[in-house]
Amino acid sequence: MNHEQQMLKDIGIVGFTVVELALYLDTHPHDRSAMEYFNHYNRIKTQMEKEFSRTHFPLTLSMVECGKDWSWGEAPLPWEGVCD
Amino acid sequence: MQDYKFDEYPDKFPVAMAYVPWQHFNGIYDDLEKAFYAGTIFPELNKPFTGRRCTS
Amino acid sequence: MWNYEKRLQFPVNIKKPDAKLAQAIISQYGGPDGEMGASMRYLSQRYATPYKEVAGLLTDIGTEELAHLEMVAAIIYQLTRNLSMDEIEKSGFDKYYVDHTLGIWPQAAGGVPFNANQFQSKGDIITDLTEDMAAEQKARTTYDNILRLVQDNPDVSAPIKFLRAREIVHFQRFGEALRITQDHLDAKNFYAFNPGFDTNGKGQKK
Repeated sequence: MNHEQQMLKDIGIVGFTVVELALYLDTHPHDRSAMEYFNHYNRIKTQMEKEFSRTHFPLTLSMVECGKDWSWGEAPLPWEGVCD
Repeated sequence: MQDYKFDEYPDKFPVAMAYVPWQHFNGIYDDLEKAFYAGTIFPELNKPFTGRRCTS
Repeated sequence: MWNYEKRLQFPVNIKKPDAKLAQAIISQYGGPDGEMGASMRYLSQRYATPYKEVAGLLTDIGTEELAHLEMVAAIIYQLTRNLSMDEIEKSGFDKYYVDHTLGIWPQAAGGVPFNANQFQSKGDIITDLTEDMAAEQKARTTYDNILRLVQDNPDVSAPIKFLRAREIVHFQRFGEALRITQDHLDAKNFYAFNPGFDTNGKGQKK
């Protein structure tokens, strides 16, 4: 697994954790422990996405910074998969 | 939300209604990668499928 | 409104095409208990919800189901790409291919096209949440059935196991939303009125 694939996998894991905590907090909106976990992992996810977008390709529109080309269009299509 | 034993408190859990027990926060998996592959960060919600077809 | 993250929620990397398997798995794309029905159901029900936390949950789960819809499409796409005409003919996939080539089109495994009859949006919060709990169980059973078909196929079983686990978590959340709803109402008679539509005749609204 190359560096890009590894980073994408880590973002997937942290992103999933954030979504799981968000659904839990939707029905437990006063749970302080869950909120602390959410804040912690959400911060990590944002940081990782920024770093990934800088070194590989932007994962969201808000991470796009046009340099030479329209980088949003350069990202691989998510459904192609990787065969290694 | 407090949770009670359903049959001990019939006025809180009257008949003719569905009740799912309330989940309380008991921590999450330490290994988040394992949690990712399991499909949940909560150990108490991890219910894998182990069924195998059998015919007699 | 919706944003898009250019990644699947869980990776799909399938090395070996299998047109027969694709025909079964397509039910989770456009079938009666599939992800298109799930997302449309929750995203439609949220408007008439009288309680903000429940509307929030329906929005968030509905959004996650769209990501699952994308994963199922990726699975079908990877199972059917590079198929030879011989494989198409021999697998029975020819019936789908003739109308769609290798395009992804929402239908059930049996061929019934996706349609709004596959879900309800009843405008009654107790009814809608009960339907949602049933929907998650139906989806889980469908994934159980798919898992029996892919026991020796880890490329396919990994994302399917993930999708199945999500249904169980969603069931728990909808169950909690129903408990929250019950707390707003009078336990002596939860069905006295529709809190999204009536007052209860005693001036109570929700």
